[in-house]
Amino acid sequence: MSIIAEAVAVIPALFSGSAWEKRQAFDADGMWLFCFVYTFLGGLAAHYFYKFLPFMERHLERTISVVMYLIIAGIICWGVIDRFVFSSQWSGSTTIPPFLFMVMAWFACSYNVKLRTHLSFSEFRSKMPPSGQMATLTLDAALWFGFCWIAITTSLRFTALSADNFQLVDGVDDIMKWWFYTTIPVAFTLMSGRVIGNWLEDWNNYKSGDQIIKQAVIGGDV
Amino acid sequence: MADSTWITLISLGVTLFFMLGTPVLLVIFYWVIGISFVIDLPLANTGNELINVFSKGFALLAMPLFILTGDLINQSGIARRLSDFAYSVLGWLRGGLAMASIAACGLFAAISGSNSATTATIGSMLHPEMVKGNYDERFSAATAAAGGTVGIIIPPSIIFIVYGFLLNLPISDLFVAGIIPGALMVLGMMTAAFIICTINGWGVLIGLSVSRMIKTGIGAWLGFFAIGLVLWGIYTGKFSPTEAAGVTVGFCVFIGLVSYPLNRIMGSASDVPVEQKSYASMLVVQGFTVPQIPSIVSRSAQISGILVPLIAVSVAMQQVMSSLGAREFIGEFVTGMGGYYAVLFTSMAIVFVTGMILESLPVTIILAPILAPIAASVGIDPIHFAVVFLVGASIGFVTPPYGLNLYVASGVTGVPYFRLLRYIVPYLIALIAVWFFVALVPETALAILPDR
Repeated sequence: MSIIAEAVAVIPALFSGSAWEKRQAFDADGMWLFCFVYTFLGGLAAHYFYKFLPFMERHLERTISVVMYLIIAGIICWGVIDRFVFSSQWSGSTTIPPFLFMVMAWFACSYNVKLRTHLSFSEFRSKMPPSGQMATLTLDAALWFGFCWIAITTSLRFTALSADNFQLVDGVDDIMKWWFYTTIPVAFTLMSGRVIGNWLEDWNNYKSGDQIIKQAVIGGDV
Repeated sequence: MADSTWITLISLGVTLFFMLGTPVLLVIFYWVIGISFVIDLPLANTGNELINVFSKGFALLAMPLFILTGDLINQSGIARRLSDFAYSVLGWLRGGLAMASIAACGLFAAISGSNSATTATIGSMLHPEMVKGNYDERFSAATAAAGGTVGIIIPPSIIFIVYGFLLNLPISDLFVAGIIPGALMVLGMMTAAFIICTINGWGVLIGLSVSRMIKTGIGAWLGFFAIGLVLWGIYTGKFSPTEAAGVTVGFCVFIGLVSYPLNRIMGSASDVPVEQKSYASMLVVQGFTVPQIPSIVSRSAQISGILVPLIAVSVAMQQVMSSLGAREFIGEFVTGMGGYYAVLFTSMAIVFVTGMILESLPVTIILAPILAPIAASVGIDPIHFAVVFLVGASIGFVTPPYGLNLYVASGVTGVPYFRLLRYIVPYLIALIAVWFFVALVPETALAILPDR
């Protein structure tokens, strides 16, 4: 089967309802092509979603990560109280939080892409002329896009494998691991949208002669 | 082209990306991807690590929770009270405010576990006062940057959690082992501040007042309680470090919410001098309201969203380096140096040089699994080596060109990065002196371990 045929075969597999069929389709090389197109189109969709719903643009990733954070803290804190006061402990209190942590971290990572607060050595970049700054920002955008593409492809495969193996979260008998894993491609799709949005903003600033690189502040826009 | 040529070219390429300001996360990620192509490692190996890293254990969860603790104690006003107390104890000495700033970093570090949170919180609080008190602003910014290094040595500590997680060492033991070296770092930096301020005549002295000390000590009681709670829980084994972090978060949220209405009833305005505040008003802190909690948590989530992906790609990088034979290469090099001290000092040199160009988390994740077994093979106690390694990694936060605390201090004080570099040197000398002392005297790390 050609790589294009393999990529096309991913689409029906996505809607098949069978984890085994998904895994078969996702394991093919065409999955990389499919995910490249998906990362771009999904990113564009996310960008326009944010553009037309500014409330979501400001709050979606933050809300997800804050809620996950609070649930993690709540479960762990309650786990200690439960053990000391009631002499019992819910078996999932140490196994569910790592998955919530994963969800929190990648949505927060996506929001950091928007805020451009990921650690970097920007001393030289900030002293470059506008064309140089635009070039480095375009390089960043391309690299972030590639990061999203690889992460979406591999996380979809990982999720399908987990679903196909009926992997349960340790210590509980009714919560599947893939329920959590499936949020990862979503987070990276939103991240791709942030990358596209940032690049368009930079390009507009460059064309209009406005300042392109601004000081990013951790904890800013909160 | 030979594999070694490709590896060199890829390494040079990502170094260029780094110099051009590409985020460190992407620099490491693309190095891993590039090398994976060269040595035929499947890309899934790297991609899966972005998920796998979370499912490897409960211990890593302490990291976001201690970051959150830092933000909660800052927002609740507990951090302010701790720094007021430090100033009342040290303000009568030349350079008292600078020393108080470092001591406040130590106290803050004993509740939070993050170097950047320590630098940002104490720097933004005390820098304006230091400038008002006739200190050079560059020295003030450097003080905040240097003080933040203890954030990850005095327990709880994010980097100890990562180290324990990687090498299967008891994190509780690592935390306890960090207490004395952390205190020595604080003392070393305070000595450096005292000398520099005495030479330059910086600082406005305040009188030594016992009543002021008692009042600010009472004002900081919640901070001391939180420190005691964390240390007691971990030291006695009542909680795991992750549970200690969860309990501290719960404590801080409870205190913050209860204090807010109490402070409105019995507290004083924040701009009232300590002398004019009543003892009763010092019992409560500023606190916060329920609607403020999401913005506090959101800030912590942002910091976690920076650090955790970095851990994930660093773990992948460490795996790729193992496949390249880096473990054997560095191992042979270090082992070839000779016995106990040669291995110890060579490891320290490697950590120091790497810390200058890489963030401390990747340094730990990449080098610790390589160096720790070699150190153990020549008889260095694993807990002692961990402390030596991590004190070195923490010094990496203030070594240019890539010193994270220098960037954070520059950001919160507005002093340009390159201008504060000169003033970090005395602190760097003090930290390195303490580092060697800790390396040469294992008891500094091991003496108070519960099972020794």
